[in-house]
Parts: sequence; structure tokens; C-alpha cells
Amino acid sequence: MLTTLLIVVPLVAALVVWVLPLSAESTSGLALLAALAEVGLWVGGARNFDFSSQEQQYSASREWFSDLGISYSVGLYGFQFWLVGLTVVVGAAAVGYAMWVGRDRPRAYYGLVLFLVGSLVGVFAAQDLLLFYVFFEAMLIPIYVLVGVWGGPQRVKATVTFVLYTMAGSLLMLASIIAFGISQGTFELAELGTSSNDWIFLGFLAAFFVKAPLLPFHGWLRLAYTEAPPEIAAILSGVVSKAAVFGLVWIVLPHFPEPVDDLRGLALVLAAATLVYGSVLAFRQPDIRGVVAYSSMAQMGLIMLGIFSVNDLGLDGAILHSVNHGLVSAGFFLLAGMIEARFGSGEFARLGGLAKGRPALASVVLILGMFTLAVPGSANFAGEFSILAGVFERGWGYAAVGVAAIVLAAMYALRLISAILHDRRASGTDDESSDLVGGELALVLPLVAILAVLSAWPALVTERSFPLDQPTSFIAGQEQSP
Amino acid sequence: MAFGGWLCLLAPLAGFLAILLAGTRITRRQAGILSTASVFVGFAGAVIAFVDALGRTPEDRAELTASWTWLTAGDFRVRLELLIDPLSLVMMLVVTGIGGLIVLYSNGYMAGEDEERRYFAYMSFFVFAMLLLVEGGNLLLLLVGWGLVGLASYLLIGFDHHRPSAVLAAKKAFLMNALGDAIMALGLFLAIAKVGSLDYGAVFDAASSGALSDTTVTLIALGLLGGAVAKSAQIPLHTWLPDAMEGPTPVSALIHAATMVTAGVYLICRTHPVFEAAPDIQHLAALLGLATLLLAGVVALVQWDIKRVIAYSTMSQIGYMFVGAGVGAYGFAMFHLVTHAFFKALLFLAAGIVIHHLSGEQDIRKMGGLRRELPVTHVTFLIGTLALVGIPPLAGFWSKDPILAAALAQGGALGWVLYVGGLLGAVLTGLYALRLYFYVFHGERGEAHAEGHHGEGARTMTWPVLVLAGGTCVVGFLAIPGVWEPFEEWLEPVVPPLVAPTAAQDWLTSLVAVTLGVLGSYLAWRAFRAGRELVADGALRNALEHKLWFDELYDALFTRPAQALALRLRDNVEQPVVQRGLDELAEGTLDAAAVAGRAQSGLLRTYALAFAVSVSVLALVFLVVR
Amino acid sequence: MGPDIPWYLAVSSILFAIGVGGVLLRRSPLIVLLSLEIMLNSANLAFVGFSRLHGEMDGQIFALAVMAVAASEVCVGLGLIVAMARRRLTLDVDTLTELKG
Repeated sequence: MLTTLLIVVPLVAALVVWVLPLSAESTSGLALLAALAEVGLWVGGARNFDFSSQEQQYSASREWFSDLGISYSVGLYGFQFWLVGLTVVVGAAAVGYAMWVGRDRPRAYYGLVLFLVGSLVGVFAAQDLLLFYVFFEAMLIPIYVLVGVWGGPQRVKATVTFVLYTMAGSLLMLASIIAFGISQGTFELAELGTSSNDWIFLGFLAAFFVKAPLLPFHGWLRLAYTEAPPEIAAILSGVVSKAAVFGLVWIVLPHFPEPVDDLRGLALVLAAATLVYGSVLAFRQPDIRGVVAYSSMAQMGLIMLGIFSVNDLGLDGAILHSVNHGLVSAGFFLLAGMIEARFGSGEFARLGGLAKGRPALASVVLILGMFTLAVPGSANFAGEFSILAGVFERGWGYAAVGVAAIVLAAMYALRLISAILHDRRASGTDDESSDLVGGELALVLPLVAILAVLSAWPALVTERSFPLDQPTSFIAGQEQSP
Repeated sequence: MAFGGWLCLLAPLAGFLAILLAGTRITRRQAGILSTASVFVGFAGAVIAFVDALGRTPEDRAELTASWTWLTAGDFRVRLELLIDPLSLVMMLVVTGIGGLIVLYSNGYMAGEDEERRYFAYMSFFVFAMLLLVEGGNLLLLLVGWGLVGLASYLLIGFDHHRPSAVLAAKKAFLMNALGDAIMALGLFLAIAKVGSLDYGAVFDAASSGALSDTTVTLIALGLLGGAVAKSAQIPLHTWLPDAMEGPTPVSALIHAATMVTAGVYLICRTHPVFEAAPDIQHLAALLGLATLLLAGVVALVQWDIKRVIAYSTMSQIGYMFVGAGVGAYGFAMFHLVTHAFFKALLFLAAGIVIHHLSGEQDIRKMGGLRRELPVTHVTFLIGTLALVGIPPLAGFWSKDPILAAALAQGGALGWVLYVGGLLGAVLTGLYALRLYFYVFHGERGEAHAEGHHGEGARTMTWPVLVLAGGTCVVGFLAIPGVWEPFEEWLEPVVPPLVAPTAAQDWLTSLVAVTLGVLGSYLAWRAFRAGRELVADGALRNALEHKLWFDELYDALFTRPAQALALRLRDNVEQPVVQRGLDELAEGTLDAAAVAGRAQSGLLRTYALAFAVSVSVLALVFLVVR
Repeated sequence: MGPDIPWYLAVSSILFAIGVGGVLLRRSPLIVLLSLEIMLNSANLAFVGFSRLHGEMDGQIFALAVMAVAASEVCVGLGLIVAMARRRLTLDVDTLTELKG
């Protein structure tokens, strides 16, 4: 019931916003209310969630097309619960940011954002393959519109490339879903058996590797992350990319043990290459969003390393790091938006020396930067450490590449911090009195606070992601290979 | 003991959070007081734990106290736990005791700075991180503390964030330390893979019982050594430390002399069972220490910046500690760590008074003749210098000579190389230490003006210096070889030494070392009187002034290739292939759409006609095909 | 008994052809709409004819559904035409090419 509520509340709110001729204020107010209600629902759900149970919880199921074996079936395991939590928190921050900026055409705008949040929750809660596909596509539609209409100067190009990449990926996945479901006679994830068909497997990978994105599939990333409105970029990099994590952990690993085993090496190499490539490129980007965009790509590569190591350390670390990275990159995109709003641009050539007289801005940039480079003791460190320790067991070379990339991460994160905060004040930034104000802090600080809690206690997530002591046996329970 | 340990750890953290959250609601002065108090409360905690431990039998002095589980993954779990034992107690006392004095000194030194609150918040944070490092009850927490002190070091070196050189130095320090962290993390991954745990006990048992293969132990030890070398600024990861002198002087005293940079020595002592199982790596540590102590000693001979000379001397002294730890004389290495913390903090703080007095001037050529203007500073600086050279009965004498004697007792080719090299280092120490002293306090009054007429500064500055000078005079008596050795006995249950020099070796070493130190000092005095430089102009001096081209080498080997790779990738792969290819794809799609769009004329009747024709054709087809 | 089924179909076809011709040839939206109605009703005639031939009610039910659809369609269509007239747009389908690609 709770899961359905979590999906339906934003969708209904979106409908209300679209249909009723409300004023701009009440529209945004209603949207924020719905977004906060989501957070409230999630917190309420967390209090009653039995993390030690091996059962799916808050599940609901209703037949849809009995002939094809399709049903509306949703439910949550531990790791899905965390991903949903990430969604509702980032969603609330994004709605709050939009409210703070005051987007034009508010009814259409907030309706789309709420629709996006609802579909994202649906993606993470789906227990039926076709239902998953429906939500997966539904979440893309509002993104197209939001980027294409409210984006920056190159928004049309950004949208077109994004549409091309994601459609190519999802159509391949649709083919795989249909082939897989028909051959098994059901689309219910719990009832689906395993398959050793490499082509079906690759169809899924195509969609998820585009979404993540991994190395050769990342062409849409730069423009989409730079041209989208900041809060949409926050959702895009923070949450939407995690749909790939969910898909791989919950669809690919359990149902395709043999192809995973055969092609794991290739996936690990791609993930490691993504990690290095993203880190290196982040090092030479000329603006804040460029650095954060490529750093996101690198972090997703790291998460993929964890997933494809298919062991306790790797999978637990991947879920933890998904949550961390979602919060950090969302925070950074919102921050980039705030800085761009102040100085007209996020280009480093026009920034610098902002630490002087702006303690709040300096502290937030510094703290988020330190989370980005995974300073030991942070939640991100815990995630990266587990992932790399996990992938070490698959081959020390991957771990060596991983730690090298972490040194690179330190390089680009420090460059980012210094370019914003340090040295002389550049031409564009002579406005003295523009520290972050209360409203902006109220958006960013909750994200930082959650990260702080996770840093003090990362086991909160890792211990409660998967129902058994052994997530590997849970995920790849049917894995035949030794 | 548990209570004292937690109090010691959490008090500075509380101080940091309080200053951070209070923001501008407290004055700069209050922030300083808060920070100082938090560190001294930590010291009280350390003393409580120490007294508690004193009352127990030596075997019973180690206590592991755990709180919640920090990280889990399957069977692997790491708890947030503190290990309070004689070794960590020594470090806790040094960190909070000397740290407290230095933070107190900062109250005077930093007065009038713009962002004092931030400074004191960082100082408290550093002390917390350092305590986490020394108290952490497993290898992962050690790594966490290891990284956090690096972070604090970055923040404090770059405190003057509007000065590009400071920001650059901060970044360099952080990157080198991140590299060390990364190498260490690889070692830990190996330990997780082979042992399945990062608890000290489990890893040490596996290492010393022979459950692990030689290769495994060697690689784990190598990983740990990599971390130690980066943090302690030993060759080859040493280039960040001289640059780190861009930070405020008390920072140099606390982080880059007394505590953080000596963490590598602590690490080797703490994980000695691993190193003992991999003797090659342990000897490598000793040899790296020897190389560093000689290299830093000669480079220090030609430096003109007062803080850089002291920084090179720090590298050199840590080299001695590595030699001690490398031959298994853990007690002596730790003792040198303690005495060094005293006299090096003293030197830095005294140098700070000089710099403060001269309104920020750091070039010793512009100083000179300051002994009349700064009498107290002069005496204390001299005490520190003599202690550094190892003149009895000051602290350095009691701690440096036993390390050399231990090298002698080790014997063999390795022992002799270390012994002779160490003695050579003693001459160098005399040379550069006295050169610095003469340049600053003797001769003609230099051109640097004392504009503000600071004199010796506020009482918060002079008192810590006096306390440290007193400590430098007496702390050495905690370990008189063969007579009264409470320090070694205190550490013995945790880190039993591998070598024990005989009385004859002790005497011989002390005699030679002191003679050589005095000889070095005398030569420095001769050169200064004659107005000569210690190293004449020429190729050698040029090489030394370029610090033997390590920076240039690393620049050419790593920095530039990395930047070039980034540019290449951006300009030759990402831009042309991915982005431009993408543009073409996008434009092609749009063009095709435009062509197809022309068919949509908008004329209803055209559509209807097309519709009708299609249906007719279909109908015909069905008729014919049937 | 009335005429045989071919007669029904013949009338239906003639009506359908008239409708198609109207849609294709006339420019007034009102007449186009009228022609559409004629086409729908030709289909209805065929339905009812077949229904009688087979003696089943399916065709008649379908004819009723078509009538309902036709009625709604006329409502919307006429509404659009009135709206266009109000905004003083020319009532000529050839000039209404707003949606061209």
C-alpha cells in the first residue's frame, strides 16, 4: 500500500496541478507539499520496514493483462527502499529549488517534475518487467520536455541527443523484455527464471549502460547535464542514472547468471575505463557543471565496478555509493545553479576568490567537494572502499585502476574547489554581499546533513541493503558457476 | 581508560563543531579560547587514561572499546573502536599536550587575521583527526584518521586562500598524501581478501603465524610503507613538505613537525608484526629513512627561508626515526618522535616569533643580530638548536644516539651503512642548524624591519615557547640507556624491540655522534665568521638549490603527462569523436525530419486523398492476392 | 421481406462514394463534416444489412455504437467550426494549414 501511495501521490499531484487553474504560488506550494509528503511517507515507511526480513515489503499486486502475464506488481527490498529514499529527498530538493528560482509556466513545470518523481519511484519499486519498462519510459518523457523547454541556450540539441541515445537503449531493452517475458510465459520478476541468452542480456545492458552512462555510450551526458535546469540536472545525475543500478542489480544479475559470468570481464573493463576517462576529462572542464558531469560519469563507472564484482563488498558498496553519489551530485548541481544565478556563469574563468566574505558558500562547496573526492571517513569513502575491496577479489588490476582514479578524483575536486573559492577574485564576481541565503541553505544543508549521518554510520545502508547476510547468494542465487 | 580515550577523542571534535555551528555568533577571541580549551580537555582525557593505565600491570594496559558497527558487507565488518594501549597513550599525550600549547600560541600569533574562527575550527579538527589516527582500533579507522589529517593539513596549508602559492602547496600536499592513502588502501584490500578482516589482532596473527604467503605479507607491508612514506615526507614522496611551509607557522609546528608527519613512524610501530614478517620491507623503510635524512640534511644547507630550513630538518629527523623503526628499535624511534615533537615545535614557535616580529619576513639573509631584540626567543631557539644537534643533556641527545647504537647493534652490512650514514647526518645537522641560528641571531642587523614593534608578542606566545624549552631540557631523562629507561619499559609490552645495544655500543656511539655534531657546529661557526657559505657556488650548490630536481622530475613524469593526456582525450577523442559525431547524428536526424515533414502539407484534402488511395490499393491487393 | 443483400450493399457503396467525393472535393469544413456523416451512415447500412442476413444482433449493436461516435464527432466538429467562425477565420479547409511540417 505504501509503495503504491509513494507512486500515486506525485502523479495525482501532477494531475491536479495540470488541471486546476491555480495561481503560481499555490501551484508551487502544492508541488512542494506533495514532495514533502513523499519524504514523510518514506520516513514513516522506514520506521516500520523490517530490514532483516527476506520478504518483499509494502508490496501490492493486481492483474493487468492476464493473457500476457502482465501485472501491476510493486514492492520493496532493502536496496530498493534506499533508492526510493534517494528519489524522494532529491525530488523534494529539486522542487524546492524550482520554487526558489521561480520557474515560468509553473503549472506545466511542477506537473512534469512531480510526474518525473512518481515515475522514478515506480521504476525503483517495480516487480514486473513490463511495469518497469512503462515507468522507465514514463520518466523519460518529462525529462525531454523539461530539458527542451526550460533548458539553456543549446537545449534543443541537448534534448535531441538525449532522446536518440535513450530511445535506442530502451527500444533494445523492450525487445529483450518481450523476448524474455514471452519465452518464460510471465513478466513477474519473482517468477521469472534464468536465461542464458546473450542477446537478451545485451539488450538490457544497452539500456542500462546508456543510462549510467558507461564509456562509449556517454555522448548525451555533457549537453544534457549542462543545458538542463540545475534541479533537473540534479535529478538526472543523482537519481535517473541509478535506474541503471537498479536494473543491473535486480534484473540482469539474478536472471542472467551465465552471460554475466561470461561477459563480466568486458563489463569490468568498460567500467574501469569509464572511471578513468570520466576522471581525466573532469580534470580539464572549463565550468562547474562540466566537472560535475564527468565526475558523475566516473562515479557511475565505480558503481558499475562494484556491481559487476558480484560479491558482498562490491554490491553493498555499490548501493551505498549510489545513495551517496546521488546526494552529492544533486547538491553540487543545485549549488552550480545558485552560483550561476549570482554571477551569470559557472565558468571558472569568471569565478574565483569567492571564499572571501562568503563563509556559507565556501563551507558548502568545500564540504561537497570533500565528499566528491571521498575523503576518508566520509560515506563516499566507505562506499568506494567497499567497492574497490570487492573488485579486488575479481582482479587486483581493477582495484589498482580504481585507486589511481581516486587520486585523479582528488585532482579534479581540488581544482574545482580552488577555481570557485580561491586565488584572486575574477572579473565577474565583484558583488560583495552574495553569500548563500537562508532559503538556499535550506535546500542544500539537508543533503549535507544526510551525508554526514551516513558518514558516521554507513552500515545503516550497507547492513540493510540486502535481506540475507550474503547478498551475493540472494542476487545470484541461481548462479551455477562456482 | 575507555572514558579517558573517548573524552580525549571527542573533546576536539566538539570544539570543532561548536566553532563551525556558532559561525559569527562568537567573536574571534572566543573561537580561539574554545579551540584551546577543547584540546586541553582532550589532554585531560589522555592524562586520565594514562593514570588509569599506570595503575595496571604492564600486560593489562591495552583496552579495546567499541561503539557501533561502522561498515559492513557480508561477513566483513568494521566497528568504530578505540585501542588505548601504551603506544597510543604516548601519541595521545604528545598530540594533545604539545597540540594544546601550539593552539594556545596561535591565539597570539593569529590575532588580527581575517578568518580566525575558521583557523581555530580547522586546528580542533586536525587534533581530532590525529587522535582518531592514533586511537583507531583497526586498520580502516587508522586509514580514516590518516586521510582526515591529510584533509586538515590541506585546509591549514591553504589557509591564506587568496595567495596562489599557498593554494598550490595545499593541493600538492593533499595529492601526495592521497597517493599514499591509495597505496595503503591497496594493501588493506589485499588484507581483506586474504584475512577477511582489518582488525589489528586478526591481521597481526595471520602475518606472524605464517598463515599468509611471503608475497602477501610483503605486499601488505609495502602498502603500509607507501602510506607511511607519503605522510612522513620520506623519499620518494617528500616534495610536498617544504612547500607546506606556506601555511601559518603554528600549523607548521603542529602538523608538519610535531604530529602528523611523524604518523608514519607510529604506523610502522603499530603494525610491527606485519613488517617483521616482511623484513625486506622493514629494511627498505630504514634505507629510505637514511636516504631522506642525508638528502634533507644537504638540501637544508643552502635554503634561505627560515621555515624551509626547519622543514628539511624535520624530514631529516623523521629519517632517523625510520632508521630506528626499520631496524626494530621501536622504543627508540618512538622516543625520538616524542623529543623531536618538543624541540621541533619549540624551533617552529620561536621562528614564528621572529617572523611575527619582522612582519612576515622569512628570508634569513634579511634577519641577523636579533639576539638583542628578542632575548627570550634567542635563548629558547638556541636550546632547540642544540637539542636538534644532539648536545647533552638536551632531549635530542638521549633519543638520537640510541637509534644509531641500535643500528650498530643490528650489525651486518645494513647496520653499518645505517650507522655511518646516521653519523654523517649528525655532522650535517650541526652544520645547517647552527648556520640557521647564526644567520638569524648573530651578525649585523639585517634589513628586515620590525614595523609593528611586536617584540616577542603576547604572553600566549612566549609561554608555550618557554614550556616547550623546559620540556626539551628535561624530557630526555625519561630514557637514560642502561640506567633508567621507563619509556622503553612502558612500550615494551606493545612493541618489543628487535635489537638492544650494549653499554659499550651506547657509549661509543654517543661519543662519536656528539663529537661529530660539535664538529659540524664548529664548521658552521667558522664559515659564518668568515662570511662564507657552507656550500660554495657551483654545480653542487645549483643542484641543492633545485632540491636535486625532484619537483622538476615529478612534473615531467606525472603532472605534465597527466595534463597532456587530459587535453589529448578532450581534444582528440571527446570533442571530435563523441561530441561532434553526436552533433552530426543529431543534425542528420533533424534534417531527415525536415524532409519527412514536408509531406505533412497541412491540407486536409491531401490527407484524405492519400487515405482513400491507400485503402483502394489495399482493397485491390486483397482482391488479387486471394 | 425486403430486397436482397446486394441492394443494400449497392446503396451503401453509392453513399460511401458520395461521402468520399464530398470529403475530397468540397472546401467548406461544414460540408466535409456532412460527407463524413454520409460515409459513416453508409457503413451503418451495410452493418444492418448483414445483421439481417445472418439473423444476429451484432451488426445492429455496432450500428448503434457508430451512431454514438458520429454524434460525438459532430458535436466536436461543429464546435470547432463555430469557434473558427467566431474568430473570423475563413471557412476553407485549404487555408487551414497551420499544422504543416
